Amino acid sequence: MAPRVEIEGLTLAYGRQPVLQGLQWRLHPGQVVGLLGRNGAGKTTLLEALLGLRDTSAGSVRLFGQPAAQIDDIARARIGYVPQQSDLFEELRADELLAYFRSFYPRWNEAKVQGLLERWAVPRDIPIGRMSGGQQQRLSLIRALAHEPELLVLDEPVASLDPLARRDFLRELVEQVLDRGTTVVFSTHILSDLERVAFNVAFLREGRIALQSPLDELLDETRLLVGPEARLAALSGVEVLMRRPGRWLVRRIDEATLAPGLVAQRASLEDLFEALT
Amino acid sequence: MDTPIQFQINTGSAEPIYRQLMDQLRRRVAAGQWRAGQELPSVRELALELAVHPMTISKAYGLLEIEGLLERRRGLPMLIAVGHARPAAARERIEQLRPTLQRAAAEARELGIPKTQALELFARLLDASESGTPR
Repeated sequence: MAPRVEIEGLTLAYGRQPVLQGLQWRLHPGQVVGLLGRNGAGKTTLLEALLGLRDTSAGSVRLFGQPAAQIDDIARARIGYVPQQSDLFEELRADELLAYFRSFYPRWNEAKVQGLLERWAVPRDIPIGRMSGGQQQRLSLIRALAHEPELLVLDEPVASLDPLARRDFLRELVEQVLDRGTTVVFSTHILSDLERVAFNVAFLREGRIALQSPLDELLDETRLLVGPEARLAALSGVEVLMRRPGRWLVRRIDEATLAPGLVAQRASLEDLFEALT
Repeated sequence: MDTPIQFQINTGSAEPIYRQLMDQLRRRVAAGQWRAGQELPSVRELALELAVHPMTISKAYGLLEIEGLLERRRGLPMLIAVGHARPAAARERIEQLRPTLQRAAAEARELGIPKTQALELFARLLDASESGTPR
């Protein structure tokens, strides 16, 4: 199947500060990709550029085969986006806002909308501007899920949700994947959520996707080697992801041939985050 | 009455989720708690229940099918395969514990914990889970 998102050589700078530097990325139907990166690595910029919301200095972004900055309404209706900062009309109430958006989309799951408004306790009788940050975020998620998009772009979507609402939201994502092969890309610092739903993880570092891999393969292949530095330095033919004195994170190592004095431990997603971002 | 098939997963672990599922199933079957002929939840049901990507579930199921622990039937739920009607021999079951204890032993050595203290802790943990609440 054709990728839903195709990014080639994407380069973008703020003034003289480079943010994205020749970034390549593809997202396929049914993929749920967790985007990981340190604060300031450019995750939000990347997600905005992916949606055609940013001027780029080089490279191309295609969504459903169309240039991102000029997609037609049909392709636009297949995309859902939850920005980090709420972009809802503050003077409207939730029902008014949703009725407004409903008019733009050929598909709209009103039963889902009503169910989620109820379950996530979004108030209907006050203007959005008077809702709490968490309530606005939940409403923003409902808006993005309502038209059952085939591409969902979520920028820190769960930061202000409580654990139960978060689990509920992850189930919604899983259901979208099961029912229509929705492609989901989301950035978050809540690694436990990512571990559950993101089959793939992508690490953004120095303006590029430094590594994208199925998370379970990465956990299976990576080992933290602990031992005397001299023994570590004598290792040959291994891919080293991180070097700290006496602690190396390596990929694809044969534990059976490990020099005595070195201990191989499994690495967690947190270890990988530390090494790869 | 069969023990209902329910899985639990730990996030933050170095053990990928598909392996956690496989290990739980192997242990429950070895203990005779989940038996031959019992139906597994569908990929869809389990993915939604645990809020994990469906491919993680199908990967675990697929590998267990190759191992011969699960049996696939066209259009029907997967089953625990025949030949797993009775608990595995004690010898086989204790072997399944070996990797976990090997790791614990290595960590105890790194921490410089004497053998008696480590064994005492393990005994206490065994007692605690017997009297404690399940899950």
